[in-house]
Formats: sequence, C-alpha cells, structure tokens
Amino acid sequence: MDFSLTPEQVDIQKAARDFAQGEFDPDRTLEYDHNQEFPLIIWKKASELGFIGVQFPEEYGGQGLGLLENALIVEAFCSQDSGIGTALALSDFGSEIVLRHGDENQKRKFLPFVTQGKGLSTLAFLEEGDPQGPYETTSRLNQDGYIIHGMKTLVPFGSLAHYLVVVCQAASDEHLGQSILLVARQTKGLAPLSMGQKVGMRMVPLDQISFKSVRVPPENRIGHEGSGEYQLRNFFDEIRIETGAMGVGIAQAGLDRAVDYSKRREQFGRPIVKFDVIRNKLADMYTEVEVARLMAYKAAWSFDQGKPDHRSILMAKMIASRAAYRVTYETVQIHAGTGYMTESHVEHFYRDARVLDLFLESEPVQRRRLADEITRLTK
Amino acid sequence: MVEILQYTEEHRAFRERVRAFFEKEVVPCVDEWEEAGIVPKSVWRKMGEQGFLCMNVPVEYGGAGRDFLHSVIVGEELARTNHTGLAAPLHSDIVVPYITSYGSEELKKKYLPRCVSGELVTALAMTEPNAGSDLASMTTTAVEEGDQILINGQKTFISNGMNCDLLVLAARDPVVENPYQAIDLYVVEAGTPGFEKGKVFGKMGWHSQDTAELFFNDCKVPKSNRLGIKGGGFVMLMEKLQQERLVCCIVAVAGAECMLDATINYCKERKESGRPISAFQDNQFRIVEMATEVKLGRTFLDKLIADHIEGKDIVVEVSMAKYWTTEMAQRVADGCIQLYGGFGCCEENPIGRSWRDTRVLSIFAGTNEIMKGIAAKFMGL
Repeated sequence: MDFSLTPEQVDIQKAARDFAQGEFDPDRTLEYDHNQEFPLIIWKKASELGFIGVQFPEEYGGQGLGLLENALIVEAFCSQDSGIGTALALSDFGSEIVLRHGDENQKRKFLPFVTQGKGLSTLAFLEEGDPQGPYETTSRLNQDGYIIHGMKTLVPFGSLAHYLVVVCQAASDEHLGQSILLVARQTKGLAPLSMGQKVGMRMVPLDQISFKSVRVPPENRIGHEGSGEYQLRNFFDEIRIETGAMGVGIAQAGLDRAVDYSKRREQFGRPIVKFDVIRNKLADMYTEVEVARLMAYKAAWSFDQGKPDHRSILMAKMIASRAAYRVTYETVQIHAGTGYMTESHVEHFYRDARVLDLFLESEPVQRRRLADEITRLTK
Repeated sequence: MVEILQYTEEHRAFRERVRAFFEKEVVPCVDEWEEAGIVPKSVWRKMGEQGFLCMNVPVEYGGAGRDFLHSVIVGEELARTNHTGLAAPLHSDIVVPYITSYGSEELKKKYLPRCVSGELVTALAMTEPNAGSDLASMTTTAVEEGDQILINGQKTFISNGMNCDLLVLAARDPVVENPYQAIDLYVVEAGTPGFEKGKVFGKMGWHSQDTAELFFNDCKVPKSNRLGIKGGGFVMLMEKLQQERLVCCIVAVAGAECMLDATINYCKERKESGRPISAFQDNQFRIVEMATEVKLGRTFLDKLIADHIEGKDIVVEVSMAKYWTTEMAQRVADGCIQLYGGFGCCEENPIGRSWRDTRVLSIFAGTNEIMKGIAAKFMGL
C-alpha cells in the first residue's frame, strides 16, 4: 500500500494551486456569486493551460490522465474558492458519457469543445415528476431521426452549454428503456428557462429545459437504444468521484480560513485559537477533511485501476459533501458575525457546500444506494 | 393538558389580528424588501398604528402596558412571514426596554410615544470591529465635556442600522480603568452632527434587514441622554440580555415550527413510486426526529417565557436555550432542505431563505460558544 502521490501528480497539484491563487480574484468572486455568473475568463485560461478534462485522452484535447489527477485539480481549485472551483469542475458535465460510450465521430466532434474552452456541456436527466417513474421526456425515432418531447429540470448551465446530453425515454418501444441523445443547444424547439437564484453554487446556474419537437439526427444517439440507464450509472460513478473532490476542496478551504482567522482574531486578550473550544473545532475539522480526502482519493484510484469500487465511490461523495458542509459551518461560526457577511469571503463556502450536498442525489438517496450495494439488493 | 403559557381570549384575538396584519401588509412585500435590502419606514408606522410595537410601554408614555406574551405573539407571527427585515422584536423587546427601564422621565416622555407609534425606529449599538463577544474591549469613547458627551468610535453589524432614528449606544469613559465600570449607554438621535451611517452589509441571509456600520466623529449628545447611573452600562446590558436571548429562542423555535410544517405538507404531496414521500420510513423517521426536537425546544422555551414573565433569574437556562434552540433550528432547516432534494436549494422555495436566515441565530446576541461560557460561569464551574 502506497499513499504517496507520484512526482507528476505533485506537480499537477502545485500547478493547479498556483493557477487558482493567481487567477481567482476574491472580489471578482463575490461578483460572480452575486450575479450568478459563470467565470468565463478564468475557465478559458484554465482550459488553455489544460486543467479542464485532464482525464480525456489527448486526441480529444485532454491530457490522457486519470480521475485522481482530475480530482487533485478540482480539489485545488475548490480549496481556493468553492464557487469558481465547482463551476470549472462542472464545465464539462455530462461529456464523460460521450467519452465512455460515444462513437469516434461523436467524440471527435464534441469533446474538444469542452476540453479546449470553446463551450460547456451539460447533462439533462432530472424531471419534476416521480423520480422512480419512467421519464416523461421521450425520444421517438422516425425516418429523419429522433424527435424529443418533454421537460427537464435542474439542468446546470442549461442556457450556456454548447451541447446537452439528454436522457430520454425511448418512445419507439416502451420496453427499451432509456436512450441518451446528444443535442446541440441551438436546436430548434429547445428552450431553457432560468430557475432563478439558488442558495449556493451560483456560478452554476440551473435551468428548466423544455423540448418541443426537437429534431436530433440519428447519429447523435450515444450507444445502443435503451442503454441510457447503464450509461447513466457509469457516469454517476465518475461524477461522484469529482463531486467528492469538490467536497474535499471546499472543506479544505473552510479549514484554511478558520485556522488563519482564529490565529489573527483576538478576544478577551488573546487570539481565539488559544481557547479549547476553537482548538477542538479545528481538530475535528482537520479530521473531517482528511477522512474525506482519503475516501475521495481511494475512489478515484479504484476507478483509474479499471476496477471502480462502487461503495468507496458512494461514500466519497457522501462523506466529502457532508464534510464540506460541517467544516464550513464551523468556519462561519469561528468567524462569527464577520463570517455571516459576504465580505468575509467564507459565507459562500457554506452555501456552496449545502448545494453540493444536494447535487446529483441527496444524502438519503446515496445512503439507500450504499445499503443496496452492501446488501447486494442492487436492481 | 395544562398549557405552560396561559394565553387568554384577549391574547388569542390579538394573535389573530397580528397574523391578519402580517398576511396583508408584510407577506406580499417580502420579496421586494429582500431585493431592496431594507423595509420601508411606512410599515413600521403601520405596525405602530395597530398597536403592535413596544407593547409593554406604560400607558402614560403612549404604550398599552401589555404583558410579554404579546411580544411573544408578535415574534412568533413574524417568524411565519419568513423574513427578518422588519425587526420589530429588536425594537420593541430589546432596544426600547433600555429606555423604558433606565431612561429619565424626560427621555421617556420625549421618545417612548414615538417608539410606540413607529415614528422612531431604534437600534442597539454594542458590537465593534474588534469587540464582539468581548464587550470589555470596546473602544468607542464617551468623554464628558460640561453638559455634553463627546462620542468617538465605530460600531458594526448594527441591525436596523439604516432605518434607525434613535440609537442606544454603548461607549466607554476613557478615564475609568475598570472596563466593567467604564461603559455607559446613551440615547443618540440620527442626524446628530458627527453620527454617520456607513455601508449596509451584504450577508448570507437577512437580506431585507438593513444591517449597517455606524461612525461617531466628535458626536455631541447632552449628558442627560445617558441611561441610568454613570458607569452602569455593563450591568444594564447584562440585565437586558436575558430578554434579548429569549427573543432569539422565540425566533428559532417558531422558525423551526414553520419550516417543519411546510416541509411535512410538501412530503405528503410529493410522490415517489406512486406513494407520497412522507410514507417512506426513512423520511418518516427524519420528520419524527425533527418534530421531537421542535417540541423539546417549544416546551423548554415556553417554560422560560413563563419564568421570565414571573421575573425569575434564568440566565443559565436562557443561555442553554439560546445555544440549543438556535442549533436545533439549523438542524431542522438542513433536514428540511434535504427532504426537498435539489428543489430545496432554489430560492424560489421558501426553505432556501429560511436556511440562510437561520444560520445567524447561533452567532448574534452572543455566539453559542459565549452562551456555554455564561452558563458554565453561572453554574459555578
């Protein structure tokens, strides 16, 4: 067993940290957050330097690295700023499905957009109706291709993305299950509607997207007809690992600021770090960060070994996003009145952590899935 | 079952009136106020016209001389409006009582009637950039110059900071060495030369509340604006903080009750696999656990309200309740968001605002760490 990073991984980590420190302007960060604005310029620079989609092969504009390397970058970005970090990490959201299940033409056509900073991608899977029921968004195949009807909700970058990976109920044969289609954002009949402000992760705006007779060429189907559920399951493994890395980064950000502030802030004639209660909080926070990191790295490592460990992956997202929430709660508490104010630059960590915890699937759902895994009741 | 708080028919009718007023005059405006970062002065006046402000002020000063249960009712009903900008409990039950209890006859006659009518909105200025929990390290000075007091310094995170017409200000006399005997409270009118309002803070929550910083630059007030005897500020603050913290508990418990009620309704309507999500055991247990905590908080709170009305010294219990109920409210806010899932994080859903607003309860009016310290001290530990 070897817990150390390779020299190359250490270099990647350092480069990502240096980039984040140099480019994530704190004041601009607050503006992005306030305006629900995607940090476009920073993302462009990050793409140019090869930080986006490092896990994609070089022929598609990536670096041919693993999920662990991607996790190190995501963590480094989020530990500088939770808002910019999560926004950059999700800029290629859904493209993993194209990479893992798409054909050569699809990969060549779409992936370089996201890895080279030309456009964002997103995945539209959630709907307002019964989460256990069949999707109401359907794809019907005719001579010219597919026609999509329906409505998706909580779609990140719904109005900004260059292309969308859309999970549909295959309408041609109801027994087929779900199919996944690649849809260009500008396709006629596709209309995003902003879901407004969120409590956190505001640089990743959410949209509701309606599909009215949206025509998609047949070659835009990813994988087989009806293989959507399988693809989505694989994708969830991958994105849970990335989400775990975001959680670790946000928690680290909270810890760093809390340590720094408690050494500087004096009350009752001494720095507050001298009080037992603050020291205990810091010890607990540090522990949470480290436990989350171990689980996130283990999950990423298992994936890169070609043997994704589903339990570790589920736990990584669950532990890391809860760690981010609890740690940043204490960061705010240690900063007290200052911590509640926007200008403290820590209150949005806590808001972002709250949303991260709900992202993809909430903690109760993750627990249910983990229990299924442990008891082997997975359907 | 014997209720801990003995509400009379008059109280119940009062609650109905308050609720109807908020539903008509407040709820429809909340989104606008949250956007504006402040509530209009006119709503304070309307509160006053209805007799919903400073209810304990004696009749001779324009008040109604009502009992504390009326304050409890206004606080609880305000929590149901899911906003915090119209900080009536701060005005009625925290700031104005300093004037009612310690003000001279002249000050009471001069200011109380207009506090009751809502013509004057008040604020309490204690916190400074470097003096939060540690009041003794306060640096704002009040220097006697003949019949005048010269005030210099800075206060921060002051609720009602922009709207305030009248301030109860804590400042120290630099010649008195013992910090506990150096602090005095002064009434300062907005518009007094040398008293400037600074910026309004952007915050995680309380968006409709005009929390601001205040500056004093050779600001002169008459010596007669001092509350109580010279050097008595610290004792007055300690005495009045019991009610301030009790008000925080009311906000916390009433807020938790509202959040949970709304979430239970949602869970009964939202369907998964054809069943309401309230029918799932996991969700049921989560809801039951939250409801248990809310009921524990309510029982503890009502007992403390009853003791407070009887005039008992409950500093230990209020400190405990302030820390426990405000953390409980945050657990409930978090648990409720969890049940809403992804939709819970959208601001369109009221739970998002409640969650942001609830976070500050364990920070202001003395952090929860300070609460535990006070309880420990008074428990003789």
